[in-house]
Amino acid sequence: MRISLYLGIAACLAGMGVVLHGAILSSRDAGFIQSNPEAASITDGGFVSDYFNLSYRLPDEWAEGLLGPPPSQSGYYVLGTWAPKGDFAGTIMVAAQDMFFEPDSSDDVKDIVALFRQVMSTVDGMTIDREPSQVSIAGHPGYRVDFSGVGLFRSMFAIEIRCHVVTFNLTTHDTELLASLAGSLDSLVPVRKESPDPVPECVKDYASENVVHRVEPQAVGTRSVSVPVRLIVAADGSVKHVHVIRASAVQARSIEDAVRQWKFKPYARQGHPVEVETGMVFNLKPASM
Amino acid sequence: MKTITLTRAHRLAGVAAMMLGSVAWSGAAFAQGASSTNAATANAASANAAGAQANNSRRGGGGGGSSGGGGSSSGGATDPGVRGGDPGAGGSLQGLNDTELSFFAGAKDVFQEVDAVPNGLGPRFNLDSCSGCHSQPAIGGSSPPTNPQVAIATAAGATNTVPSFITANGPVREARFVRNPDGSPDGSVHGLFVITGRSDAPGCNIKQPNFAAAVASNNVIFRIPTPLFGLGLVENVPDSALQASLAANAQQKRSLGISGHFNINGNDTTIARFGWKAQNKSLLLFAGEAYNVEMGITNDLFQTEREGDANCQFNATPESVVPLQAADLASPSASFQSDIELFSAFMRLTAPPTPASGAAAPVAQAASTTGQTAAAATQTTGTAGQTTGTASSASTPASTASTMVASAAADVSSVMTAAAGSSTAAQPASSSTTSGASVTRGSQVFTNIGCQACHTQTFTTTKSQLTGQSNVTIQPFSDFAVHDMGSGLADGVSQGTANGNEFRTAPLWGVGQRIFFLHDGRTKDLNVAIQQHASRGSEANTVINNYNMLPQTDRQSIINFLRSL
Repeated sequence: MRISLYLGIAACLAGMGVVLHGAILSSRDAGFIQSNPEAASITDGGFVSDYFNLSYRLPDEWAEGLLGPPPSQSGYYVLGTWAPKGDFAGTIMVAAQDMFFEPDSSDDVKDIVALFRQVMSTVDGMTIDREPSQVSIAGHPGYRVDFSGVGLFRSMFAIEIRCHVVTFNLTTHDTELLASLAGSLDSLVPVRKESPDPVPECVKDYASENVVHRVEPQAVGTRSVSVPVRLIVAADGSVKHVHVIRASAVQARSIEDAVRQWKFKPYARQGHPVEVETGMVFNLKPASM
Repeated sequence: MKTITLTRAHRLAGVAAMMLGSVAWSGAAFAQGASSTNAATANAASANAAGAQANNSRRGGGGGGSSGGGGSSSGGATDPGVRGGDPGAGGSLQGLNDTELSFFAGAKDVFQEVDAVPNGLGPRFNLDSCSGCHSQPAIGGSSPPTNPQVAIATAAGATNTVPSFITANGPVREARFVRNPDGSPDGSVHGLFVITGRSDAPGCNIKQPNFAAAVASNNVIFRIPTPLFGLGLVENVPDSALQASLAANAQQKRSLGISGHFNINGNDTTIARFGWKAQNKSLLLFAGEAYNVEMGITNDLFQTEREGDANCQFNATPESVVPLQAADLASPSASFQSDIELFSAFMRLTAPPTPASGAAAPVAQAASTTGQTAAAATQTTGTAGQTTGTASSASTPASTASTMVASAAADVSSVMTAAAGSSTAAQPASSSTTSGASVTRGSQVFTNIGCQACHTQTFTTTKSQLTGQSNVTIQPFSDFAVHDMGSGLADGVSQGTANGNEFRTAPLWGVGQRIFFLHDGRTKDLNVAIQQHASRGSEANTVINNYNMLPQTDRQSIINFLRSL
């Protein structure tokens, strides 16, 4: 998997039956590369994900739902959930799966949506209402699949950003509302209207063969644990950013302290060194062993 | 307990004991150490009065609310309460040979023994027998309707104060403190009672923990007994099957906000699967830890008294060991086993609970207002808790997917009869056919909205040492993984790789005959228990949203389906 993504997107879910209030969020241009996927926020009534460069203002009659769980050991994130303030007529849940730690080893978003379609078709009482089909969300090619059962009508849109599959999961008991929510995905806007820096190239397993100086994390804690980590390597081969996806504070500190000392062979695109983003799993040993 | 005993005269007294959630000491082999964690906001004492309508508090932290009760109406669906009729539980696995059956009988007797101080009880304890806690709807189950902890507080002259969270009609509970006085993580069980004042403990003068202060400072959480039926079959499901199951519907889980992981044992890196947080690797460990922590009886696995006061030591330790002379049990082999071996044998040889028979029967129509009709009629989920494939044991007649425990099945109509008798909002149950349709519909809806993503229905055991137990299909309705259940259920106690927010997916087999739900027994109402799955940070939020979007009849069908299990 080697995907270069220059993001110029954002999200704004509105549509029939939902009314946007105010203008779209203003541009932001700093700190996005170092941000982490779970750092999505609600600011001034709008949802902002610097990492994925997604943004939309919450519709008037919709509100933030319950916060999702923290990132999983396989790099799965629930970025946000929304529901109407009044009648509980539907929900929107935005999630992301880090493809570096994708447990199904699926290679791209098309395969993932196809597999999802296959799984859902086997659920008792479930009907596939719309076979996986190509869509474009904010300029990103992606796939949509619709399905329904027991009176609930659902749609999943999936796009790929920075080697993550980002999904918009819509559920309603009203087909018209589902259609309006789906239509609202056309109005996505970017967080950053103009990006001053390109997003790092994302390359799976780059760390497996290109580390020229490595320092092992100190054994900490009381048990062995596998820790998924994303890191950004600067154009000169130094480590620019470390994101420990799920670990205790002491484990995260141990990994960060070690990895920041690493040196990589610089990654080149068309002969020019560029930043690269990759992932790896650390198998930390306990201090007592 | 008695060292090398010639008899087990204290046994067979008929009552009680407990293996609640269990603590395991961090230094013990196979144990998943317990500690509280600051990563979670402990729900602590608030659980005592919890039972939220989580759908009404999407932006809140969950928890809170009022405790429900069986037969009450909540969220538009009505829990008919505990299913009546034959318990369909507490017996031995089907297909065992005579030797194994005899062993089971001996183990079950010891499981019901009542212990006093000369047998090892205390110095600190929660109850004096295993079966006292594990007795609903039969020996080996969960918390009974009348809490035996109230009576034991003052038994034999003891002068214990019954803590505020222990009530006559409430659940059997163990108590864990979240933090130590210095603010560091605790997480361990603190025995409710002491032997001080008992006629068999002269000179002992230790005091109970200050539970009133712990409650006031929100520093105590609770666990209720987990049912033990069918655990030998669960024990024999290979890790590869659990791992495959967790991965099989990963795509669906991700559309629902669900991830989950196993509580991996640090010693051998296999999946631990017993206890509220899947913190115990084996049934033997589960038994040994509970014997010490819940009853205060040291044993081969946990040899050391937790309370060190010299005036309260009345026995040589370990108090329960392997007898070198035969005890007076009917089973010769059981007579040479330690108590904890027999406890684990009882759990290993006990059959899974039997669902109501109607849940397995095709019905003519489904009760629905959504336009979904007879598609549900051919649904076959919710059948017997234990079926067998081609038996590999030479001594077992081969049987392909034959039902092994259906004979004791209760009539599903009892579910709906109870519902109709206690409900003003629930759909009427005009006939057993309608009842069966509702249960069948409930099974389909349960699956369709995503409950089964974690409450995985079916597994198959691997080769077993026990006769007739190889390649047995079971329906525990659990993936045996741990999931983040949000701030509303978080207890702040970390055990193994399960953190303070995470709990093992509770197996739902037998849920139709349980009284108390969730890890702390905060509610008797299944609908409340369902709603409690949603709170800030919970992996179940999307599924509960789906549940709340269902028409009332479909929510009722799910409740009816669960009460049929």
